Amino acid sequence: MTIAPSSPPDLQDPAATGGATSSRASVRAALRSPAMITSAPLLLVITLFFLVPIVGMAIVAFTVEGPDGTDGFGLDHFTGLSSRSRAIVNSLLVSFVGSTIAAVVGALAAFCIAQLRHRWLDSVVAVFSSVLANDGGAPLAFAFIVTLGNTGFVFEALGLGAIGFSLYSWQGLVVMYQYFLIPTMIMVTLPTFVGLRREWSEANTALGGGRLTYWLRVGLPIARPALLSGWVLLFGAAFATYASAAVLIGSGAFPLIPLTIASELRSGASSAGEGAAMALGLTMVFVAIIVLLVFNRLQRRAARWIR
Amino acid sequence: MTGARRWRLGWWLPILAVALYVTVPVISSIAYAFFPGGELSFEVLSRLTQDPDLGPAITRTLLITALTIVTLIAVLVPAVVAVHLWAPRLRSVLEVLCTLPLVVPPIAVAAGTVALLRWGAQQGRGSLPSRISQFLQHPELPLILVGTYVVLCLPFTFRSVDAGLRTIALKELVEGSASLGSSTVGTIWRVVIPCIRGPVLFSVFFATAVCFGEFAIAATLNRETVPVWLFTVSSTDFRASIALAVLLNLTTWALLLIASFAASRYEVLHRRTPDDPALSASTPAPVSAQEGSTPR
Repeated sequence: MTIAPSSPPDLQDPAATGGATSSRASVRAALRSPAMITSAPLLLVITLFFLVPIVGMAIVAFTVEGPDGTDGFGLDHFTGLSSRSRAIVNSLLVSFVGSTIAAVVGALAAFCIAQLRHRWLDSVVAVFSSVLANDGGAPLAFAFIVTLGNTGFVFEALGLGAIGFSLYSWQGLVVMYQYFLIPTMIMVTLPTFVGLRREWSEANTALGGGRLTYWLRVGLPIARPALLSGWVLLFGAAFATYASAAVLIGSGAFPLIPLTIASELRSGASSAGEGAAMALGLTMVFVAIIVLLVFNRLQRRAARWIR
Repeated sequence: MTGARRWRLGWWLPILAVALYVTVPVISSIAYAFFPGGELSFEVLSRLTQDPDLGPAITRTLLITALTIVTLIAVLVPAVVAVHLWAPRLRSVLEVLCTLPLVVPPIAVAAGTVALLRWGAQQGRGSLPSRISQFLQHPELPLILVGTYVVLCLPFTFRSVDAGLRTIALKELVEGSASLGSSTVGTIWRVVIPCIRGPVLFSVFFATAVCFGEFAIAATLNRETVPVWLFTVSSTDFRASIALAVLLNLTTWALLLIASFAASRYEVLHRRTPDDPALSASTPAPVSAQEGSTPR
């Protein structure tokens, strides 16, 4: 990593950078330190409202009622998910198509923004991409119903009904998801495109390379980890989206994993439904953690050249 | 850049296409809600104000928002300052814990919470877990939402406060202040907190936006906040729900806009000047914030 001498290692505690030999001792010391005491409320909140529910969900998901009526460990709820394979396939399909389109469009837009190097545009994009990346709630679905629904303004203006487009299908979900996926992609990849040094392009020219060689040999290889990590992040975001999909699709017509979880939970305390919901929820957590790991790894590689 | 000048218009095209895609749904909803039949009318707003359930939903949402903000700032800021000062190792633990909610889908958090609350309720009427479960999901003030919303806010607010603290020479400030005779708490209150005003403001506005927009958990727990009410009313009065959706969306955007201005106003976090090594080294980009801290 190319960190300039003035970078923040001076904030690191000397004991911590002392090496791995003292790691256990320093962990034990950290537990008694004022830092631990001051962070205790935060850790408590995370534990109570995040870790415990996730663990509880795992317990329900893995608990099955045995033939003698006692509870035991089992994978029944997971093997039972095959009856809900449509939701899983739909979720994967929509997330894959949505994230791929958004990755291409977002990367293209980020690339263009970086090429323009327009001060005003840069600040507008920085603000709006982070605002829109956090969109995806219920209001978004309403905006799209009015725009692209069966009597929507754009739907009627472009005659989309004639080509068989329907907002209340996977196509609609993909189109709607772009609203927050594209800005996310711009947010993730723009620093990379901006970080491509002019010196590299000049060096390429000085050595006799053309524009194409520059992008094939320098630009894209440097940008690739950022592009891939953005794509993975988008997949995760699309996979996790609930609110807008719930408003648009409701339950039934086009099952997705989050929608199935919600309807199973709502259907009452019947343990079969609840177990299936928890198993699906745990599957989502699992996918999310894989996404985070891959994203982090790729981001680290992407960060190597920027800075 | 002379060669690129020719391409200028071409560079703008994809950007304009994305901008168009982003603005059309907003304009359509405004047109649908406030220009029924082509004429400007705010009649739908008066219909909204007459709804007996909207008022309580708004009060409830505001109350949840206020409690979330207070809890978030009270638990997050001291923790991040403390680990920066005294325990950098704990910092990376906190970072992982605070980032996890970003990737775990809200609906999964909701499912887990439901599992837990139901387990509590099944422990028998009057028992302690059952009473806690009932207390946490009280219909008027569901405190469970406050807790989960704090968790939902953590990924971004932790990063903001963390990055803010990294741009200042925290240790030197505290040591300098201590050598001049100030107490640690006094230093943190008078020196450190003013330095991270930007991130704290960001956290406040970001948390507000989260609380105003969150749907998955509130809907699953069946607690009527404004977004949930919005969904309920859409089946009876669609135009009113569109109007409220527009207002809610614009409010959220405004809050997030203020949040990002707050974050960039007090620091150089968003200035992209890769040619200045001193600046670029001490101000990591928000997304890759976690890399700058792990040179080991």
